[in-house]
Amino acid sequence: MIEVLGLSKNYGDLAALSDVSFTVEKGQIVGFLGANGAGKSTTMDILCGCIGADKGSAKIAGFDITEQPIEAKKRLGYLPDVAPLHHDMLVEEYIEYAARLHKVESSAIKSRVDITIEKLALSDVRKRLIANLSKGYRQRVGLAQALVHDPDVLVLDEPTEGLDPTQIAEIRKLIRSLAGQHTILLSSHILSEVQNTCDKIIIINKGKIVTQGTYEQLATSMEAGHVYKLKVARNGSNALTTLGRIGLNNLKTGSTPEEIEFAVGAAGGDQILDDVARAVVDGGFGLRGLTLKTRSLEDIFLQLTK
Amino acid sequence: MSGIIAIARRDLRAYFASPRAAAIFWFFLIFMGFFFKNFVHMFMQMTTQAPMMGGQAPTLEQLLKALFYNLHFILLLIIPAVTMASFSEEKKNQSIRLLQTSPCTALEIVLGKFFAASGIMALALLASSVYPLFTVAHGNPDKMMILCSYLGLFLLVTSQIAFGLWVSSMTSNQFLAFLFTMFGLFLLLILNWMAPNLSGGGITESILKYLASSDHLDSFFKGTISVAHTTYFLIFTGMFLFFTNVTLDSQRWR
Repeated sequence: MIEVLGLSKNYGDLAALSDVSFTVEKGQIVGFLGANGAGKSTTMDILCGCIGADKGSAKIAGFDITEQPIEAKKRLGYLPDVAPLHHDMLVEEYIEYAARLHKVESSAIKSRVDITIEKLALSDVRKRLIANLSKGYRQRVGLAQALVHDPDVLVLDEPTEGLDPTQIAEIRKLIRSLAGQHTILLSSHILSEVQNTCDKIIIINKGKIVTQGTYEQLATSMEAGHVYKLKVARNGSNALTTLGRIGLNNLKTGSTPEEIEFAVGAAGGDQILDDVARAVVDGGFGLRGLTLKTRSLEDIFLQLTK
Repeated sequence: MSGIIAIARRDLRAYFASPRAAAIFWFFLIFMGFFFKNFVHMFMQMTTQAPMMGGQAPTLEQLLKALFYNLHFILLLIIPAVTMASFSEEKKNQSIRLLQTSPCTALEIVLGKFFAASGIMALALLASSVYPLFTVAHGNPDKMMILCSYLGLFLLVTSQIAFGLWVSSMTSNQFLAFLFTMFGLFLLLILNWMAPNLSGGGITESILKYLASSDHLDSFFKGTISVAHTTYFLIFTGMFLFFTNVTLDSQRWR
């Protein structure tokens, strides 16, 4: 649905993007993750035809955004980082205006506006001025603008930025509910958001794509095997020496002497865990816990963008 | 086409949703009223004095012509106020993205904005017709002359709007848009007076004089519609709308 091939963009001497390529399949939610200034918004602006690229191409539903912009934009809904609102309009007026701009059939405009207002739970404020809405509602009106023409592709630039936790949860739920019927590309610098909402993650840093894949793929590719956390009741240092004899990788003490961390290779992991448990019980250290320490996206992100 | 209508409707509404339209109408009509009152006063004085001095009494057409000439000056302040927000405001609050990502061509956007601004000025001109109508009610001026003058004024206004839109499309600062539009329109107004000083005469002078807007209005105020002068305004309008279109399109590549 979205095909980006070798995008490059320079602002003067600053290379904002260099050779960015990725694809998004139909019905997927893809998270575009990067620190501030990594090139997320630039990529999205190019993808939506707001600015041009120096090199490379971007296709929406098979239509090139520079060659056939009208056809591409008909299939595209875009919520930029600052929602493009007219503060002097009523909510329903504005959504109707967006529908007309997106060339919705005039007979279908009324029903599309009603459906969108319903979907985004804007019924209570539909007769209010956008200037008088709270930030959360404004964001939803911005989303309504992107959704009103029922586009195949939705591009959302930091949709939950600046909202309170309840609103963030609502917007996330909404985005999840849109999956399937729409292909969604959303950007964020909040890792948990991407981890929770997206099928696929693209990590971008300093204008280059660092890695992409599902969360599980990223997590496994980042570590050869798993890290386990062992907790004993007493004599942590003795336990460490005992375990050392089994021959574990990356054996080290955690935050207290009673917490021990070690890595287990992908093969033969179960056997080693048995051995570790037996050694702890036999040594009389008192087994209190043996857990798999998963790496959060945060660890991966920090490691990749170092 | 539907894009043009949608944009024009929204912009026209936006003028009335804010005090902008009210302020534009107010200033336009108040200033025109000042001029009209003064001219009528002078007209009455001259009419009573003329037989005594042995001169010719002024005609109502002369009164209206003076009024319309002065309208040109009022428009220097009104038109920038009408066009300054067109693109600058949208750029400032980022709502231009909505236009940029909608399946509308740059030309549709430009024309939508142009028709909205022309619409508001057409309404203002319509409202200003109370003054000529006053002379019709109390005298017998040449009605064709009034109609022709209004056609000329409308053509002038559309050309000024096209220029203002072009300036507005280049900046996100409304104040700069206002200032540059006013300066540009003022230059066009005085170009035929300045032409002899700016050039050594000959062809340069005639070109500069041709560019001046005031010369082309004269024939309309005399009550004739000439193809040459109509063409001047149409070309002027078309050219600046084209410039605006180019500016808008080129901004995608920066």
